[in-house]
Amino acid sequence: MTTTPSDLAPDLVSDFDIYDPTVTMPVDRMQERTAELAERGPLVWSTAHGGHWLVTSYAQVHAILRDPHTFSSHPNNLVDAGQGKFLPIELDPPEHTSYRQALQPLFNPSRMKALEPRIREIAVELITSFQADGRVEFVGRFAHELPTRVFLALMGWPLRDAVLFTEATEVALNGRPGDDPEQAVASRTAAAQEMFGYFLRVIAERRAASTTGRAGGDDITDAILAAQVADTDGEQRPLTDDELARMFFLLLIAGLHTTQGSLAWMMLHLSQNTAERDKIVADPGAVPAAVEEILRYEAAVAMGRRATVDAVIGDVTVRAGDQLLLLLCAANRDGDEFDQPQALDVGRSPNRHLTFGSGPHRCIGSHLARLMLRIAAEEIHGRIPDYRLDPDDPPVVLPSQVRGFARLGLRFTPVGAA
Amino acid sequence: MQRLTVDRAICAGHGLCYGSAPELVDSDEQGDPVIVTEPVPADLAGTARRVVAMCPERALALVEPSPA
Repeated sequence: MTTTPSDLAPDLVSDFDIYDPTVTMPVDRMQERTAELAERGPLVWSTAHGGHWLVTSYAQVHAILRDPHTFSSHPNNLVDAGQGKFLPIELDPPEHTSYRQALQPLFNPSRMKALEPRIREIAVELITSFQADGRVEFVGRFAHELPTRVFLALMGWPLRDAVLFTEATEVALNGRPGDDPEQAVASRTAAAQEMFGYFLRVIAERRAASTTGRAGGDDITDAILAAQVADTDGEQRPLTDDELARMFFLLLIAGLHTTQGSLAWMMLHLSQNTAERDKIVADPGAVPAAVEEILRYEAAVAMGRRATVDAVIGDVTVRAGDQLLLLLCAANRDGDEFDQPQALDVGRSPNRHLTFGSGPHRCIGSHLARLMLRIAAEEIHGRIPDYRLDPDDPPVVLPSQVRGFARLGLRFTPVGAA
Repeated sequence: MQRLTVDRAICAGHGLCYGSAPELVDSDEQGDPVIVTEPVPADLAGTARRVVAMCPERALALVEPSPA
């Protein structure tokens, strides 16, 4: 038997819905709402989406992420876009392990480090394009563009295709603005299918290119096409087209939306904590620790897990088949792990935030994300260090299990074009 | 002299250690940490303690040499 609200004390039951637009609009109250949940207890039952546990404590989130046998990664999502399993995040060990080992070297620290000059070039080009204006819609002109261009360069896909991803990814996560819940399911499914169509075309083109011997060879698309995974009987085999498409879809959602959010949160929070900002303006050597603090302060992701057996977590019994949602944004502000968790402290140490998750599914792109955030922080604070929120263009934050920004208007002292 | 150790069974490859103290820890092809300086030199003892404290998985430890 799975848990039902009647099994629980009333104060442990909530109607909190991470997909509810009123959680982030008109003003983003996600942290406030999840802090209220955390006050009630480390696990609170939400009646939304068929019922699930909301986990807010650092210790519990950390323990669950590191116990894939008790807490399966499938399903990760409370809502379905009809895409089947996301690979490999919705696989459990041991099946997960060979996918992970195939992908991990493609995103390892030394490969990512080699991208630094190219990432810096893109960051500088983007900032230079608006620095004379004194104002910018930061999401469209920077936070979206930087990870998108880096991702396309890594994958070896044409820049002109970015428009398609941008819209379809957004719709696949959030549905279309104004959708009722049923329409949102239809919108998500259609967007996911559109993405799959695109990926299957890319795959077909690459396969054709490799048979005619004119494969490019060194981008991540070709590397993944050449990767081998272990079958259930231990045989090595290449990935199928369907697996490849689902893997590309995951890389896109996990890689673009999240980094876009962290870049925007960096600007939002540093513009409101100018004493902290002054520290990194004065000393670029302070940037890496500041990046970790930005990552801690706002975690975009809330991943799902499903209990495979009955399990006792603190005072609460989670039943086999119960769905859980791990609220990283709350875990990262847990006072049992972090001193003064509500304070943005760019020098915080240690800073064992869970923004990239933990355990076997820890974010594979973390080295790339850190690099983009560091380079962006260095270049922005070297060029337009006095940015502030534009009162005429307030931030627009979207909810969902990957919370992110639609708009962020900023003003700053204009700088002559370089 | 103390040694820095990594428990590969619980390491999840966050990379904070080698990002922060490349003089003590490097990374391999999979992005997992590899201890490069053994034992920890006296002038890096403070760095080593900091690296142990920053690991989100508590996979790093400073161990005393076993008595001969």
